[in-house]
Amino acid sequence: MMMTLFAPELTVLATAVVFVVLACLPTPDARRDYLTAAGLGALTLFVALTALGVQGDLFQEAYRVDRFSQVFKTLLALAAFLVILLCRRLQEIPIQRHAETYLLLSTATLGLMLLVSSVHLFAFFMALELSSYSLYLLVFLHRDQAQAQQAGLRYFLVGTSTSAVMLFGLALLYGATGTAHLGTLTANWGQWAGQPTVLLGLLLTLAGGFFKLALFPFHSWAPDAYERAAHSVAAYIATASKVAAAAALLRLTGPLTGAGGLLVECLALLAILSMTVGNLAAVAQTDFKRLMAFSSIAHAGYLLIGVLTFSTAGSSAVVFYAVAILVMKYTCFLVLVQVSGDGRNLAIADLAGLHRRSPLLALALMMALFGLAGIPPTIGFSGKLLLFHAALQKGHLLLVLIAMFNVVISLYYYLRVLKAAYLTEPVLAQQPPIPLATGDRALVLLLIAAITLIGFYPAGLLHLTEAAAQVLF
Amino acid sequence: MVPFSHSLLVAALLFGMGLFCLLTRRNLIMMLLGIEVMLNAGALAFVAASLHWQQMDGQAMVLFILTVAATEVSVGLALIVALYRRTGSVDPDPPADRQLAAQAGEGGV
Repeated sequence: MMMTLFAPELTVLATAVVFVVLACLPTPDARRDYLTAAGLGALTLFVALTALGVQGDLFQEAYRVDRFSQVFKTLLALAAFLVILLCRRLQEIPIQRHAETYLLLSTATLGLMLLVSSVHLFAFFMALELSSYSLYLLVFLHRDQAQAQQAGLRYFLVGTSTSAVMLFGLALLYGATGTAHLGTLTANWGQWAGQPTVLLGLLLTLAGGFFKLALFPFHSWAPDAYERAAHSVAAYIATASKVAAAAALLRLTGPLTGAGGLLVECLALLAILSMTVGNLAAVAQTDFKRLMAFSSIAHAGYLLIGVLTFSTAGSSAVVFYAVAILVMKYTCFLVLVQVSGDGRNLAIADLAGLHRRSPLLALALMMALFGLAGIPPTIGFSGKLLLFHAALQKGHLLLVLIAMFNVVISLYYYLRVLKAAYLTEPVLAQQPPIPLATGDRALVLLLIAAITLIGFYPAGLLHLTEAAAQVLF
Repeated sequence: MVPFSHSLLVAALLFGMGLFCLLTRRNLIMMLLGIEVMLNAGALAFVAASLHWQQMDGQAMVLFILTVAATEVSVGLALIVALYRRTGSVDPDPPADRQLAAQAGEGGV
């Protein structure tokens, strides 16, 4: 019984063990590592899909397997598998470190999977740490040591100090209430809600989730980490890590249905600041990955709008938008990896003439950027619509208006990238076309189809996300 | 018995001192120690809460915090050693890198 409930996590753990062995072998072999990782990644995805319907409690109810956690585990397995596919030409990381890269990617995935199932605050903290430490090391593995060490150290220092803050918040919560189980906390929330220690403890605890999501006051690590990490690592941070962070925030705050006043105002302020800071800073960027980092910060703000509604509609919209972010951000990074070739960073100007070098990649980039900017008919538009609609139902009109303004600002810099890809003439007149393997071509087509089809027919995905969100209430 | 609020106050003071150390020092090892002190402040608060509620949960958590702190030190020191080998400094923003950034112009920002 327990094995079936825990199957996706066990598969990822087995993957990690395999790569511990491979990392110890004397001869590094990039192709062997890639094929093993891709095979095991596909297996994990398959196991996660088969485990989509299981339910139950594990480890003295500290760990809950339900529709919500299983949907997110499938998304995480998908994101991890897709990121491994980006590692086929992993030239940014020295070949001796490839096995370690896959090892750390699997431990990070394991941590994130444990995170979305934790309903005990202690389990929650440990899962968060497991994924964070793997990511600090992954950022550090880039071949350009001078750049990567700076970014990795900053990520590490901000991350560990945030987790210390979160730990103190947990201690305050536990000290004030005498329980660390989310279910018990939710059931008796009314009697504690007024206490300042509980509110402070909760806000400090949320800081851990905010850090993962790169929300405004905890965002300073993101631009450097994105820019200086290997492309596939940055893609992992932008997709899997964000999806899990959204799930973690929903678990932590979702059940506080009766919460009002101060908590909602604090979250609304953070959402507004994060959107505005992210979007305004993104306008000034010239590096593509840095632009993606600031766009992530802005999207963290949009996600928080759904979180602070504390309603089923809002939570379902957050799950939907997490899927949208996964697909759109991954498409952007896929284009980046293909265009960059040998793993160097791309300035936005380097995209010039992309529509001639590879029309398919240019189209994929256009659809992904339209999605991020929220232009219909894309998955990003449906996601934003659901988020704003959920917020309006709860009467957050001002918040939605500010978010709309931000969407307009973001349109400017997304279109700037598109202008480079479609209209600007390259400095060197003859640039070689970008060859795409059959598998890559199929993947790109699949992503374009996902972005547009879910934009036209969101009902299927919406049904799934609503089923997931209903578990929370 | 020491009242719960007193031990919480000590923990909060300890946490503040750790945070102060983290924010003011320009030496990576001292910053790491600051984070360590912050983690231990959390552990102290957990022990106090455990005593206050007469439960073992908080004490169990402290064992986990010890492992997290050990991970933090081992990962952190490994990163610092790698940085020190390259630049010969334990400054979070080594002089060698600052020169590099200055040469690169605005690209290094």
